[in-house]
Amino acid sequence: MKFTWFHLMPYRWLPDDFRERYHSVWVDLPNGIYDPVKGHDLYNEYLDMLEYAEECGFDAIAVNEHHQNAYGMMPSPNIMAATLARRTSKAMLLVLGNSIVCYNPPTRIAEEFAMLDVISGGRLIAGFPVGTSMDINYCSGQNPATVRDKYREGHELIVKSWTTREPFAFNGKYTKLRYVNLWPRPIQQPHPPVWIPGLGSIETWDFCAQHDYNYSYLSFSGYKRAQNMMNGYWDRRVALGADDNPHSAAFFQQICISETDAQCEKEWWPHVDYFFNKCLHLYPGTSEAPGYRSEASLRAGIVAQVGNTSQNMGVNKTWKELVDQGYIIAGSPETVRQQLEELIKGLRVGHVLLGCQIGSAPVELVNRSTKLASTHILPKLRHIFSDFEDRWWPKPLATGRRAVPGAYNKAGAIGAPR
Amino acid sequence: MSAPRSRMLELGSGRPTIELVEAGQGPNLLFMHGAGGVVWDGALPLLAKHFHVYAPVLPGYGKSAALGLDLLEDQFDLFQHGFDVMEALGLEKPLLVGESLGGWIAGEMAALRPKEVGKLAVLAPVGLWRDEAPVTDLFGLSIGELLPFLFHDMASSGAKAMSQLTTLMSEKDDKTQAQVDQLIALLMGFRTAAKFLFPVPETGLERRLWRIRVPTLVLWGAQDRFIAPSYAEIWAKHVKNAQIVLIERCGHLLLQEQPEASAKEIQRFAGI
Repeated sequence: MKFTWFHLMPYRWLPDDFRERYHSVWVDLPNGIYDPVKGHDLYNEYLDMLEYAEECGFDAIAVNEHHQNAYGMMPSPNIMAATLARRTSKAMLLVLGNSIVCYNPPTRIAEEFAMLDVISGGRLIAGFPVGTSMDINYCSGQNPATVRDKYREGHELIVKSWTTREPFAFNGKYTKLRYVNLWPRPIQQPHPPVWIPGLGSIETWDFCAQHDYNYSYLSFSGYKRAQNMMNGYWDRRVALGADDNPHSAAFFQQICISETDAQCEKEWWPHVDYFFNKCLHLYPGTSEAPGYRSEASLRAGIVAQVGNTSQNMGVNKTWKELVDQGYIIAGSPETVRQQLEELIKGLRVGHVLLGCQIGSAPVELVNRSTKLASTHILPKLRHIFSDFEDRWWPKPLATGRRAVPGAYNKAGAIGAPR
Repeated sequence: MSAPRSRMLELGSGRPTIELVEAGQGPNLLFMHGAGGVVWDGALPLLAKHFHVYAPVLPGYGKSAALGLDLLEDQFDLFQHGFDVMEALGLEKPLLVGESLGGWIAGEMAALRPKEVGKLAVLAPVGLWRDEAPVTDLFGLSIGELLPFLFHDMASSGAKAMSQLTTLMSEKDDKTQAQVDQLIALLMGFRTAAKFLFPVPETGLERRLWRIRVPTLVLWGAQDRFIAPSYAEIWAKHVKNAQIVLIERCGHLLLQEQPEASAKEIQRFAGI
């Protein structure tokens, strides 16, 4: 088992009457309510949390990509990963952006991921989400009728640019480049592991199986509601003749840990309430552009990551309901451990992405939770699935071979007085 | 009233096969539908009393398979598709009528091959843009909120008929199979509209408007809140042979909200 500490980076100061005054947390929430000076503190506090997760021994730290969104303030996950690449040295860097269709030409993504891989000494996991409809259609203006096709073409270009050692021409429908010749190219060969975050569409499962990519199911409604979806994933892999290696799948779960169950509810509830009742406040009119999902996916009626129905988004639920229904795993270390084990074995996932910061939760609460997880929980779960090879994990340079940030200045200073 | 007939129309290899709805006898009227598809009520049955109405259905709408949309990669494929339909039907210099999305397509066709169009009637066409009067976002509103932008009078029969659709958007999982099919048909049609109009429905038409030289009728609802009637002035400015007519007590969907008045204006313009 490997555990990744995953940040969403929500804005902390949405007003009390947010739901009454604004129709969505996303797309058209006026940026006048964002305070960039508070934002300065918040970014640094949040990056500190990610760095602390490495210190506590998490296997990877993760950032993602959203646009015009008050619960996800990372329009550029690569910038966040770049700061982390220099301030960390052990944890892998899971970057669950980049939404391929938003970048023109897509070789920009190949370049930036290669830069991150080279700077970090080969610690990068490259994420290629299609992106939510809000991000890619409404905020980035990409045409919903053609985004899937554009995504496939962009993906092909990126992988080819990573793996080709001579300049080549690329004549795509959406991108035409006479000279593709990536500088730098990634350390990891043939390229960094690729993870595809998904919402449960069969097309994405097939895409992952075809390319041997990790499928990361990102849901805010928790592991109990994910069981049918993940059963579908495993059935589909069997049908496609792919193996049943648990490391081919990752699952996102929000968790809160305190010393006792009662204390957990007391200190976490305001922040959990903030997340489910403010951060997931969405306007149906801009939740899904026509054509974003295929007719087959529409027919399957598969519930999307966000947007479909408010009743399974966790809105207006009590702490007890959220906990009982698995939206959050919360309580004492032992309570959380038991449920995480249930999650891991039930969904058969070799990677868990833990959302350890929720809503408005501040650093003191979050870091305590992180520490409790690393000392009381992770060591007891790491052995699960250890008999399966993890083909989806980075292969960084040996620790001794990796550069230490700042070391060159020190070495240079020795010879300085001449 | 002439009952409409529906048949599939093959346009040839590498081109979509589409549904054609037709009715009536008389001079040929080629009708390009709006983002809602071909709705056979309102003004169309009235027009079919005087014209032979041909209403081709775009891929993704009605019985025209959504797969056909892949063959229309850009707007110029779309305009050529309009001429393919004319050719398949053997229509020479028809009266070309288009509503909203279809008004844009009809206008572009007239600009592209002015000698192949008899007369042009556009009803609140899209395709233009003014920052001071943004066109309503067809793809960014729930159906219930969109309706007041489409109708002047929400108590009109057209508005009432369309408000039935809002029940399809209910969050409950209690839809019948027929409702699911209707909802998916609606979304697949909107997908086609989105392919050409998302995210901002400005298509470059303004650069080409001057090329429209056939007699042109520009009909607009005086209370259109979807595309302001001020857009009619842009047509008046660039299209030499244009007459502008505003219809009172009418929103964006002229054929639904004021069927008699709209049909009458089109007949008058056609000289029938």
